[in-house]
Amino acid sequence: MSQIISKPAIRRLVERWLRQGKRVIAPVQVRPNLVSYQPVRSPDQVLLEGFVRPLNSIKQVVFPRHEQLFQYRVRGKQIDLLPAPLPDVERIVLAARPCDAAALPILDHVFNWEFRDATYNRRRELTTVVTLACTEYDAHCFCTSVGSQPNDTRGSDALLLDLGDQTLEVRCVTDKGQSLFAGQTEASTRTAPTGPGPERRADLRRVGQQLEQAFERSEWAAWTNRCLGCGACAYGCPACHCFDMVDEGGPTCGARVRNWDACQFGQFTLHASGHNPRNAQSQRQRQRIYHKFHVYPNKFGELLCTGCGNCTRNCPVSLGVLPVLEAIQAEGAK
Amino acid sequence: MRPMTNIYQPDLMEVLDVQQQTTDVKSVRVRFRDDARGDDFLFRVGQFGMFSLFGYGESTFNICSSSNWKDFVEFCFRRTGRVTEALWSLEKNDTIGFRGPYGNSYPMDKWIGKNLIFIGGGIAMPPLRCAIWYALENREQFGDITIVYGARRVQDLVFRQELDRWAEYDRVRVVPCVDPGGETPNWTGEVGFVPAVTERAQIPAGNAVALVIGPPVMIKFTLPVLAKMGLADRDIYTSLENRMKCGVGKCGRCNCGPVYVCKEGPVFTLEQLKSLPNEY
Amino acid sequence: MLQPLRETCRRLLQDGIVQVVIGYGQAVRAVEPYPVFITDPDDVGQLVWNEQCRTNLVKYLLRKEIRVLGKPAIVVKGCDERAIVVLEQESQIDRSQIVVIGVACDGMAEPRCEVCDAHQPRFADHTIGHATNETQPAERRYAHLCEFLEQPPSDRMAYWKAELERCVKCYACRQACPLCYCERCIVEKNRPACLDTSATLKGNFAWHIVRAFHLASRCVGCDQCSRVCPEGIDLRLVNLSMARASEASFGHRSGTDPQAELVLGNYSQQDQEHFIR
Ligand code: SF4
Ligand code: SF4
Ligand code: SF4
Ligand code: SF4
Repeated sequence: MSQIISKPAIRRLVERWLRQGKRVIAPVQVRPNLVSYQPVRSPDQVLLEGFVRPLNSIKQVVFPRHEQLFQYRVRGKQIDLLPAPLPDVERIVLAARPCDAAALPILDHVFNWEFRDATYNRRRELTTVVTLACTEYDAHCFCTSVGSQPNDTRGSDALLLDLGDQTLEVRCVTDKGQSLFAGQTEASTRTAPTGPGPERRADLRRVGQQLEQAFERSEWAAWTNRCLGCGACAYGCPACHCFDMVDEGGPTCGARVRNWDACQFGQFTLHASGHNPRNAQSQRQRQRIYHKFHVYPNKFGELLCTGCGNCTRNCPVSLGVLPVLEAIQAEGAK
Repeated sequence: MRPMTNIYQPDLMEVLDVQQQTTDVKSVRVRFRDDARGDDFLFRVGQFGMFSLFGYGESTFNICSSSNWKDFVEFCFRRTGRVTEALWSLEKNDTIGFRGPYGNSYPMDKWIGKNLIFIGGGIAMPPLRCAIWYALENREQFGDITIVYGARRVQDLVFRQELDRWAEYDRVRVVPCVDPGGETPNWTGEVGFVPAVTERAQIPAGNAVALVIGPPVMIKFTLPVLAKMGLADRDIYTSLENRMKCGVGKCGRCNCGPVYVCKEGPVFTLEQLKSLPNEY
Repeated sequence: MLQPLRETCRRLLQDGIVQVVIGYGQAVRAVEPYPVFITDPDDVGQLVWNEQCRTNLVKYLLRKEIRVLGKPAIVVKGCDERAIVVLEQESQIDRSQIVVIGVACDGMAEPRCEVCDAHQPRFADHTIGHATNETQPAERRYAHLCEFLEQPPSDRMAYWKAELERCVKCYACRQACPLCYCERCIVEKNRPACLDTSATLKGNFAWHIVRAFHLASRCVGCDQCSRVCPEGIDLRLVNLSMARASEASFGHRSGTDPQAELVLGNYSQQDQEHFIR
């Protein structure tokens, strides 16, 4: 037996969630060629089909690109710190891609590595993630190469699968998912078939071993020379989580804030003394690859990549991780 | 795991004293504004803190006071960037922010019974100083102590007055040095670069560990000297100074090869260092 | 066109006239062509040319990673090469040390292509293919902007708020821009900090206004910023706006005349002052 729900019924649910004051984030057609996750104001904005994957990611829901950590007030010698209030609005991410949801457990490790990040965890608790299995792929998708697939439920509270004729199968994964759909679905005998997913290009779970030997390779420059050193790959990546902390405001009042940052920026590791441990773009690219496929896996036992392909999709020059990994593997095969 | 508080919000600390060490280096003594926090505060020498001035931001400094000193902590900085520029004008009674202590520490327990060699250059004295005081205060636990400390000129030596005090301890040898041309007429220390002075000093290296901190060139040329003296890579320690923002293993900035310097460092043996990429 | 292009590049490399060719390569049709840096004459087969070559490669003349490869030849379209003209005027490159290979372009399906008057490159050392350059009256060139400006100011403000709200400050626009070449961009200066680095609406407005100020009269309208923006922000509107002001007030179209005096670098008695109040 399976559970099903019609698309109009889902939209009615969205209507209700919005009325209840919940925040709903879903894929939205922002312009003709751009689908991105945005807070929705009305149910008909939510895309439930006809897109590959949004160009941004759902990490913004738990790890916003900008947040105040606390405010400070300075009056003479008196300084007061006003802690940022903990978030309290419930969020529902609807029709997220599985390659987005899969990044949440990955981020959990980082934000709880000995020191627990309170606002991250709070947002995580407040968030319910409903994914929508993929039926379309593009040349950049490679979830099957990192051991995932288009109906992977990792990080999802519930997974929706398209059955055609405006009907979705609902697979609840967690209690959160259960309670979200309780009483909203109908029993059915229909189940969605498992599609093949994008072509499996490599087994990237094993690329770490190859990387052991590849650090000193002279080809890094050739593999990555076209990189322009922007943040498009990292900011669109569901798993990248580097950030910067700065004070904004004046000497009398302001806030310490946290902003997304990216290891591809030349300034990222630059010391005040002028020394830059990663001075060349190829070193910075190598860092990104190693962090995702070697460093993080060795620490937390999984890749820091879900195979979503957004890094390449967003890259001004079609770089991102897959082309580099394929180049490394091609060299290794020689 | 620790309880969930805002890990990015600092404690407030009161400035007790500011000492100008050189033309561009100052040391600052601070105390927690909250007495209870101060009473609870424990750290191990070698750890660092995130020190901040509100409106300017945070900077990472080693806690350069000994962990035996209970009523205050000290840090030392050179005026180089936005935050340190602002810290330069700190006065007594000012308030700063502090988060920490973070990172690993010098394995003082492991060093018990050993001869200690401290080698430092320039602004690198503070991270040696905490360990030196700690060792002197637990004098009976350690063997001979040798301190080689050099700077470009006499006036660039940080904590210069303390060098003489250290030398008064039993079985402690202090070898201050300045680069050629950096000496003053009444300079009684050595003249020469740290690696050469270390070699000349004929330090007995049996059963010794060395803590070497300083500019990359100094380290580069001192390491072969230590090797020649017979020190193994696992007995040579240093402290890295990667750029950090969060200090708690999240922001990604200090990641160097397999380690996060803020969590698995900043203290590494040469043996460990050799397995890291040269990106620090 | 591809054969003559590859042949030209092979010859330049073989004869040692250049050490590297900055051109386009492509793995599969489904993925846009990307920049390649060919140093071996036997590799010129990697070069492609098609209607997807939207990247302006001129940025790579400035990147130190590419500069170390030696004297370059670069493949450009008529719109791209305008950036070379400006870089030379601004003393960022030594034109004699660069071989420019212009390729006639039928259009890259980009918005600017509809009003292109530079299908045939004009300042290249070698030109591949033929195309006709029609003159495009200003009304046509700025039509997209004019249409936008017909809206009342409040609607325009609402538009920009909605658009810039999405900007994540990935700086892809800056990194892809051939004329954003500051060693340290003003957003990265922190002594004093001039601009909020936060990607808030306020910080984003500040960023785009400052960037526009720095590009006014210099922007050549290659619209790379628009092309690369992962948030789909139509920065072309800003570019057109700057270009129109420059043309209307100073008769200057950036990068179209190597002999022209730069607007920001020169003072003339005839300069308009109507905007100074
Ligand atoms: S590295 Fe690229 S493919 Fe992997 S999760 Fe990030 S954006 Fe997606
Ligand atoms: S790989 Fe692409 S997106 Fe990432 S920094 Fe380089 S140019 Fe930007
Ligand atoms: S603007 Fe002109 S030269 Fe440039 S891509 Fe479009 S058609 Fe080609
Ligand atoms: S490319 Fe787009 S999102 Fe990135 S900084 Fe520029 S305008 Fe903002």
